[in-house]
Amino acid sequence: MSEFWLSLISGISNGAVYGLVGLGLVIIYRSTDVMNFAIGTIALGCMYLALGINAAGIPLALALLAGIAACSLIGVGAREVVIRPLGPGALFSALVVTMGLSLILEEATRGIWGGEPRRFPSLVEGSLTIGGATFTNQRLLVIPVAAVAMLGVAYLFKKTPLGSAMRAVAESHDTATLLGIKPQRVARVAWALGMGLAALGAAMVAPTIGLAIGGFAAILFRSFAGIFLGGLTSMYGAVIGGVIVGVLDNLAATYVSASWRDTFVFSLVILVLLVRPQGLFGEKTFARV
Amino acid sequence: MRVASVLAVALMALGVAACGSDDGGSSGGGGGGDTIKVGAWFPLSGPVAASGIPQKAGASAYFDQVNAAGGINGKKVKYSTEDNAFDPQQTIQAARKLVGDEKVVAIVSANGTATTAAAFPYVLNQAKVPIINTYGGAGDWYKPPRPGLFGYQALYEEQGAAAGAWAAEDGHKNIVVVRSDPAAFAGVAKYVGPGAKSVDPSVNVTEQVVKFQTSDYGPIVGQLKGKNPDAVVLILAFPEAAAFLKQAKLQGLKVPAYGYAPTADEGLIKLAGDAANGFNAVSLTKPAMDPSPEMEEYRAALKKSAPKEQPSGNSAASFAAAKAFGEVLKTIKGDVSSQSISAAFTKGGTIETGILPPLEYSKDKHLGATQVQRVTVKDGKFVAEGEFITPPPVVK
Repeated sequence: MSEFWLSLISGISNGAVYGLVGLGLVIIYRSTDVMNFAIGTIALGCMYLALGINAAGIPLALALLAGIAACSLIGVGAREVVIRPLGPGALFSALVVTMGLSLILEEATRGIWGGEPRRFPSLVEGSLTIGGATFTNQRLLVIPVAAVAMLGVAYLFKKTPLGSAMRAVAESHDTATLLGIKPQRVARVAWALGMGLAALGAAMVAPTIGLAIGGFAAILFRSFAGIFLGGLTSMYGAVIGGVIVGVLDNLAATYVSASWRDTFVFSLVILVLLVRPQGLFGEKTFARV
Repeated sequence: MRVASVLAVALMALGVAACGSDDGGSSGGGGGGDTIKVGAWFPLSGPVAASGIPQKAGASAYFDQVNAAGGINGKKVKYSTEDNAFDPQQTIQAARKLVGDEKVVAIVSANGTATTAAAFPYVLNQAKVPIINTYGGAGDWYKPPRPGLFGYQALYEEQGAAAGAWAAEDGHKNIVVVRSDPAAFAGVAKYVGPGAKSVDPSVNVTEQVVKFQTSDYGPIVGQLKGKNPDAVVLILAFPEAAAFLKQAKLQGLKVPAYGYAPTADEGLIKLAGDAANGFNAVSLTKPAMDPSPEMEEYRAALKKSAPKEQPSGNSAASFAAAKAFGEVLKTIKGDVSSQSISAAFTKGGTIETGILPPLEYSKDKHLGATQVQRVTVKDGKFVAEGEFITPPPVVK
């Protein structure tokens, strides 16, 4: 039975990270139509920065906040410098640009901090035993942090003027402009928020997996699976999809096969998309011809 | 008309690229004059960059040290490196650049088994440039010996057998081999059982296969507890071995763990912290922090050449591999060419680096050594357990 609790709870914890990163991806996508492949590399690079700040004597919590803030700023900067000049509607070009940006920033991170993996300190120490399985408190912390982040984002989008403006821009760029909403300002906020959420996810998982160049690739891969499963247009879907992927991944490793876990999970995602192409929580869109 | 223009430009570009590529059929020519040109490929990006980067640093540190002391027989060594991203196709491109464009006389201390093998047809067969002391290797590389191909390390399979034998010597009867799923790891894991059984035929050895690049070893450890092992042998990349050790400690799986040479890396200790204490591995070299003069020389050279790199098994191995090449180079009188390098290796003799076991090459023996060093993590660092030992002879 402890195997089950181990798989389930660590799966939820992993899924919470995928959900945070996925939420960041969806917020950026919905507001600016850009699928940001550089999100993982920037978030990871900012965790190296946070580690450096902490090593200089700054308390870890503050160093993490600095890392998250840096990630938001770098994200906005990247959007202004390399994405915005592409103009509206350049979906494929923007995709390729973010891929290129990811490779460049990966090399830059390696050049600054070196290639060897590094240990990342935990925000909270200690462990808890649940159902015979033991979890670090850091691992368990991810779950409420992701839940609070999601609730915070939901509140922002449903109850604040800024959130309404972001939803309006996501629905229709032109109509939002006619209503007096500044789409470029909204885009900057969306990138800052999306990148910040991804950095928060990286900050939560770094103590468990350490920092290594390219070490975020598997997490980004599963985050993408989560947003496609949950629905590219749904913020709830991004988080719930991420959690589903995390749990299924671990349950597959335990009860099916540890080497076929990816195959099992992604086969399930494909099956769902065949039945419901918009994802579990996404909205079907129609275009009049 | 527009399509025709684009097509014409594309064909011209292809033609220019074809003309610019290697001439083929000739040996590297970069050994005359004051400079000896050698090269290598390493995975500096991608999933095994954590090993490739320190390996590049180690070999480069040796050549930087040698050049600072005046070179070899008065000639400086130019060591050119390329990123192969652990991909066979990119390795071939790297080989064409090094051999065809830069005219290196040898490939020294490169990385990778499948990747380096992909370059054999071009480098060894066509260009007749020797490949010396690759980090990696397979049984069929040296039996029978191939012209121009020389190695310095125990094969991965022999390392697996040595790890299994060690676990059996320590009295463990129920050993589980935890390995990543790609074929490269499967091939190594296959010999852990025979290695263990060469010591004690009654040992039971089973496998636990894990998806490559797994970061959450919780479910794996949970499953392992159900198998009740006495010991585990980890055939994993070192970051994954570290993740395993951390989870094993957390979940109370208190069994000795053994690993092969890629796990004998200081990076494992950094990532696993306290959980690494007691971990046993077979290493290609003496521990990176060993107090011997030769290891001190290596650490000093690394600090000067690559200040950001920490001493590690990976960089020590490639430093020593390059050093062994340098020792052979010193015996060459006159022009250094691909042919004279191969001839010097086959002349025979023992090379002592003080980091690797003694290396012996000859016309019929192109694999310099097969011995490994047992190391254990004590108080946060790898410590040597005895001298170099020969793995059990179970690998065909």
